[in-house]
Amino acid sequence: MQVTVHFYSYFKEFAGRAQVSVAVTEGASVGDLLAKIMAQFPRLAGLQKAMLIAVGVDYQTQDYRLKPGDEVSLFPPVQGG
Amino acid sequence: MKRELIIATEPIDEAALVSKRAQSDGMGAAVYFTGIVRGSEEGKAISAIEYESFQRMAEHQFHLLFDEMEKRWPVESVRLMHRLGVVKVGEPSLWVEVVAPHRGEAFAACEWLIDEMKRVVPIWKKPAG
Repeated sequence: MQVTVHFYSYFKEFAGRAQVSVAVTEGASVGDLLAKIMAQFPRLAGLQKAMLIAVGVDYQTQDYRLKPGDEVSLFPPVQGG
Repeated sequence: MKRELIIATEPIDEAALVSKRAQSDGMGAAVYFTGIVRGSEEGKAISAIEYESFQRMAEHQFHLLFDEMEKRWPVESVRLMHRLGVVKVGEPSLWVEVVAPHRGEAFAACEWLIDEMKRVVPIWKKPAG
């Protein structure tokens, strides 16, 4: 299945794009998806410790099981205010 | 609890916002916070900050915080405006109003909301030289 991944803030610059579509197997976790993302965008690998993950509009952990149509967002710590 | 949330590029007109304050007779405290863009970031002079958001998620996360705030304090209303785009030094980037029966709960709720916003609401800033 295809999952759309969005990048925000400087993650967008490190990835060189705002979004990408990634093919993952049924039942794949966010962690599995991240492994693919890091292989495709190695500049993001160094940022993984400070990475926040959302699916839709809610935060999720790497254990979250992806469903068809899920939109995943990856971004650095937030800085509003 | 009444709530009003604006996340937009339009400048924050504090006087206009304050003039629209409304509260019932039981409310004795209205606390305001204005966040202003400083002229330096990490010791380096800047002229502005550019704010970016993941708007749909930012609105959702703000409403989750409002839900939690309502459980913790007897707040009658909250109004919050956060600017996006380029905000010049000296201009407000954030404006918050919390109305509650007493000042203690109004101050506490307002401070908690801003602290939590800085932890979970997907808004980012980029300094401009």
